[in-house]
Order: sequence, then structure tokens, then C-alpha cells
Amino acid sequence: MPVSKYFSSSLHSVYNKNARQYSSSHKNTTNAHDINDQFTDWETLNKKKSISKPMKAYLERAREHDDFMKKQQIEYNIGKRHLTNMMGEDPETFTQRDVDRAIEYLFPSGIYDPAARPLMKPPEEVFPARKAAEFDEAGRPHHFLFYTGKPNFFQLLFDAAEHLENLHKFEDKVLRNKAIPEQKSKLDLSSGVWVSKDQLEIMLVETISDLEYDNFKLVMERLVSTPYSYRCIDFIEKFRKPLASQKFALEIPKPSFDEEGRAYITTYECLRKKARGDVTIHSPGTGKIIINGKDITYFEDIQSREQVIFPLIFTGLQNRVDVECNIEGGGPSGQAGAIRWGIAWGLRSFVDKSMLESMQVAGLLTRDHRRRERKKPGQPGARKKPTWKRR
Amino acid sequence: MLSRNIRYACRRYSHAVTFRTTESSPTQQTDNQFGLFYTVNKDLCKQLYGHGGLPKSYMKQSKTFAETAIMVRRPALDIINCIKATDLNKPAIRYVLYGEDGTGKSMTIAHLLHYAFEEGYLIVHVPWVSDWLRRVLRHKEMANSLTREGLVDLPLDAAAWLLHFKTQNQHLLKSPEFIVSKEYVWSKREKTEAGAPLHELVELGIARVKYACDVVDAIVNEVKLLSNSKKCKTFVAVDGYNGFFNPLTRLKTPTKKKVAPEEVTLTTSILELTKNDWTNAVMVLSADSIANPDDDTKNYLPQHLLYRKGFDHLDPFVPVKVDRYTDREFLTCANYYRDRLWIRGPLDMETELKLTSACNPFKFMEQCAPL
Repeated sequence: MPVSKYFSSSLHSVYNKNARQYSSSHKNTTNAHDINDQFTDWETLNKKKSISKPMKAYLERAREHDDFMKKQQIEYNIGKRHLTNMMGEDPETFTQRDVDRAIEYLFPSGIYDPAARPLMKPPEEVFPARKAAEFDEAGRPHHFLFYTGKPNFFQLLFDAAEHLENLHKFEDKVLRNKAIPEQKSKLDLSSGVWVSKDQLEIMLVETISDLEYDNFKLVMERLVSTPYSYRCIDFIEKFRKPLASQKFALEIPKPSFDEEGRAYITTYECLRKKARGDVTIHSPGTGKIIINGKDITYFEDIQSREQVIFPLIFTGLQNRVDVECNIEGGGPSGQAGAIRWGIAWGLRSFVDKSMLESMQVAGLLTRDHRRRERKKPGQPGARKKPTWKRR
Repeated sequence: MLSRNIRYACRRYSHAVTFRTTESSPTQQTDNQFGLFYTVNKDLCKQLYGHGGLPKSYMKQSKTFAETAIMVRRPALDIINCIKATDLNKPAIRYVLYGEDGTGKSMTIAHLLHYAFEEGYLIVHVPWVSDWLRRVLRHKEMANSLTREGLVDLPLDAAAWLLHFKTQNQHLLKSPEFIVSKEYVWSKREKTEAGAPLHELVELGIARVKYACDVVDAIVNEVKLLSNSKKCKTFVAVDGYNGFFNPLTRLKTPTKKKVAPEEVTLTTSILELTKNDWTNAVMVLSADSIANPDDDTKNYLPQHLLYRKGFDHLDPFVPVKVDRYTDREFLTCANYYRDRLWIRGPLDMETELKLTSACNPFKFMEQCAPL
């Protein structure tokens, strides 16, 4: 079965594609044709000059790798064809997404970690990219930063510095009224973060140290902070990763209506510590809070009361909804926490999207799964140790 | 300097709502003043509440604010209207204040005391019953009663109360109408003759602490007689009245026997006073769950707090519920605190405070203190 060859558990990354792009822009690639196009034609030179030893070894390795990849590619294609047949679909329109779906259907897996489940990906995603030849047949490096040991990384810093210089020049021009900036607002980078160190390493096909990663971030921050940084947005965007917009685990339910025509929604299973309960929210209301038939004085201490009213105050709905809760078990703080989560969870149906996101950021929609830790034998508490005594 | 003062004043009063009334006489207060604060004169304050009468935390706050401002609230207005409409020739009406903890029962009594003072009532005020029956210092002065067999005297407490009585009514006691009706013999040498002024009797109780409890008893009888004979009208106010009907006090006799409230002479005197067998009087009593600390049911209804005994003793009475702040009262109170610079910061703070304090006046005061 050719498919089974690709049930590899090796990590694959979406950044591989980026990596190829970036590294290809620096004339580093494993493809023999590209090498022939871009570098000196070694075969013709071979006849005239002797090839240096490292070059020979490299060429050997490169050929092996290319052969291997070619073989893998063929096997992948065959496997894909088999899958198409098994699924009874059109091979012309059978994409990678269909492959993933077919694999999930044919090999259902209960393994927790998605990375460990069966997969079938194109070989270039499965096998990490390798660095191409960095020197010519005479043994001379192509890259002027070759002897830094990390040419791609320093090339990146170099490029950033060049962009920075250009921006400064442009700023000078604007000040002297010799150039007109486009009417574009400042670069908005709130929707993403810099790529992590691991991702950057994959992009550059080089290992970098923490200090170097910090330097990278520093340079990029400085680039972004210049007033006309939008002019090199393409360069900046290459190293930014969009913040995954939080998806709410469940879709937001539509409220039901009672006989008076009021919208209401009940959240069951509001849990925190040992407290269990349910919370009902009625939408046009006057801010009444009923907890087990009493008002908010059900909680004696202010902290618990604050917990209960926090989602209401946060969304500004404290005078527009009524809340009714039944709660049992646990102590006051657990009960208050459960009610807080229940109210916030129920309020999702009554707030707009931006508020929903800020609620998420405020941690209102996150369940608190912490429980009491058990006492350990031989010590007075869960973590507490007996008083240390010399003898 | 001037501009700074103006800026300061502007900021202070920029969002002020009327929260204060200049009508400082409770006799003139009507529904127009509802929910507003009025200031009690400092000297009067000392005279009326000098020996107790205002809750301790409130005293602290009024000291900070350098004024005693009392909010005109619904129960006090209602009772004042009732008193105005009452025929005093009929047996005395008893009003029982009840409500949750911290809703302002004691403050209502304080407000009514001021009203009674303005109206010229003779004030008989017990600031807090549990001070007598439950508050046991290291050495609580106790003695077996000389005149009544099997009862216990609290001479120091009684003398302190006599002093309180004297300060509250100092202007009335001077009038020649207040005389003792019969002769009281305290010992071989000491006696009070019939026709002696009442303040002489009070002075004797303060000076000879040994007889203070008996003097209290005598004064209760005299006050009743004076009222009945229309020489004065009397205003009786007892805070924490249900303390008299608890099963036990925290007092112990030298033989370690626990004392029941009815075995204390002061209790018998006050209970005698709160019977409605006399006229020309108004009685305001409060049933407070704090005076009944052994019971943790959180039930604040008079029937529960007074027990069967007290309920029968008081029946018939007018129950008056003291409730939490309404929205308007809360707003004026918050504005008052803002004016005193007691709370500062954004206005949304009030909504949060309102929810966390659940509009309970005491809780609100407590929560504002550290802000």
C-alpha cells in the first residue's frame, strides 16, 4: 500500500512553503535545474578544471536527495491516485484537502495529538528543506556573508537595515517637500505577531540563537516604528503571523422566547470547583439578580458579589437583563465563579461581536478547571512540608 | 489661586444633584425633603447623642465629615406624620422598627429623637439594650437588688443611663412642673420627699450609684404619672428592644448562675414603661437581629425576634419596615459622599457600588470607607 509510506509522524509545517519562497529568493535551492540556470555550469567546467572536494561531496549528496524526492513524489502521486479510486472521485479535481478528508475517513484515529494521526502530505511538506550549494566548483562561496556561518539570517538583517535606510531617506525627502507620502495611515500591526524563533529557523533553514532572534525582533520593531513603514509592508508581512481569531468552541445559541415575549437563555452545567448550577438570562430586564430565590445578598462577602456582577458590568448590560440562578455545592467563591461563567456564557447571545471578543480577552468565557489538590501522606497539606528541623 | 479654587469648586459640583436640604428641623420636614440630608446642630448632637444613640461606625464617619448629616427617609417621615395625627389622650401607640441588618433602624430612631426634642417631648431613650445585658467587660458591676428579692442590679449602667436622661432633658427638667409625687426612702438618712424636683432624684441616682436602679424605677413611675396628668408628653425610644426577650443574658452572678433578662431590675423598669397603660406618650422600639446574636436564621421579622413573650407584651403595635435605599436615596447618598470627597473617580463606580452593596446603607458606607 503506497499510502502507508506517508503515515509519517514527522512534523510538517505550513511555513515550509514560506521557507521555500524565502530561500529561493536567496538563490538557494535543491532543484538541479535551478542550479544550472543560476550558478556556473559545473558540467562544462568540469572538463576544464578539477572540482574541489567539498563540491564533489555536495553534488553527490544533492543528486541523492533529488532522486529520493523524485521517488517520493512519484509514490505520492500513485498513492493519491489510489485514494481517488477508493473514494470514487474525479482525479482531476482531487486536491490535497480531499486527500486529508479521505485519510481521515479511511483511517479514523482516536489519538489525542493531531500531529500523531495518519497523514498523507506531498513529500516537500514531510521532508524538511535542505540547504543548497553555497559555493561554486572552485570552492568559493556564492554569498558574501558565507563566512558568518548564517548567511541567510544576516542577509535578513542586512535587508532590514537597507529598508530602514531607504525609509529615512524618504522621510528626509518628505521633509524637504520633494516627495509626497501616500495618504495612508500608519501600519496596523495589532492583528499579528512576529514569527516565533522556530518558525524563523525553518524559514531561514538555519539555526539561530536566542540573542540573534532578539536582534531580529529589535530590528523589525525599529523598522515598523518609522513613520513611513508602510512602504516596505511586503517585507514586514513576510515575518508576521496573523493572530488566530479565537473561535468559540460552540456556536452561539439563539435565545428562546417565553410567553411574555422576553428572550431568555439558560446555561446549564455552570461548574467551578465543587459548585454546580444553571443560569437563566432574560433579555429585556431591569437588572434583577436572583440567586437561589434570594437577591445578591445571597453572598455575604464583596468579592463573590463582584464576581457575579463582573460580566454584567463589563458588557454594560447591568440594567438591561435579569439573571436567575440555581446553584448548589461548594462554597461561596466556587458558586460565585460558576455563576460568573454562566452569566458570561449566556450573555454571548445578547452582545455584538466586538464585545464578544473583548469578553474572550477578559477571560470571561474561559472555564476555570482548577480543583482542590489532594493532601499528600507524610506532609500536612497538598504542598506544605513539615517544618524543617535539624534533628 | 482663585482660578484653582474655582476649578476645584466646579469639579466638585459639576455633577452634583441636590442632596442636601436646609430644613434642619424634623418638624418641618415633608415629602419634599424625602431622600435628602439635613445637618444636625453640633451642640444639639452632643446633647442628644452624647451618651450613645448613633451607631459607632456612623459616629466615626460624621467625625471625618465634620458634620452630622442624617438622611430624611421614609420610615421616619411616616412615623412623624403618624405622631402628628395621633390623639395623645388615647393609650400610647408603639411603633416597632424592623428590617435587615444595616438598613438604618438606629438612624431612624436618632432622627425621631431629634423630632421629639424639637416638639418638646420628654425623652426616655435607651441607646442599645445589649449594652446592659450582653456587653460584659472584665468586671461588670453587679449587685443583688436590695428592694426586690431575687433580682439583679446593674448600678453603673443605670447611673450612666441617668446621666444620659439628664443631658437629653436638661432644659425640661428645670421647669417647676416636674416634681416627685411621693416620698422615696432610700436609707435611714437618705430620702426624697414628695414635691421635690425630679432632677434632684436624677442627681441622687447619679451621685449614689448604689440606688441608681431603684431611681430608674422611680423615674419610670414618675414619668408615667406626669404624662398621665398632662404635665408633659413623653417620647420613649428603645433600640434593640428584643434584647429584653432573649432566653438568657451573658451576665453571671457571683455564684456563676446565668441571669435571665427578666431578672435584671432595669429590664423590669423598661418593660413597665413600654406597657400601653398610660397616655400622652409615643414609643418607638426597634427589633434588631444584632441584639439576638445566638440566632443565625437571618430572620428579621418582629414575630421571630421578639419571641412569643415580647410579641404579647407589645401587642398591639404598629410595625414599620426600614428598607434598603431606593434608587433615589442611593443617588443622593453617593452624591453626598462625593461632595465630602469620600468617594472619587469615575461615575461608573456608583453602579458597581450599588450592585455590590445591594443598596444596603451600612454596606455602602462600609465599602466607601476605603475608597
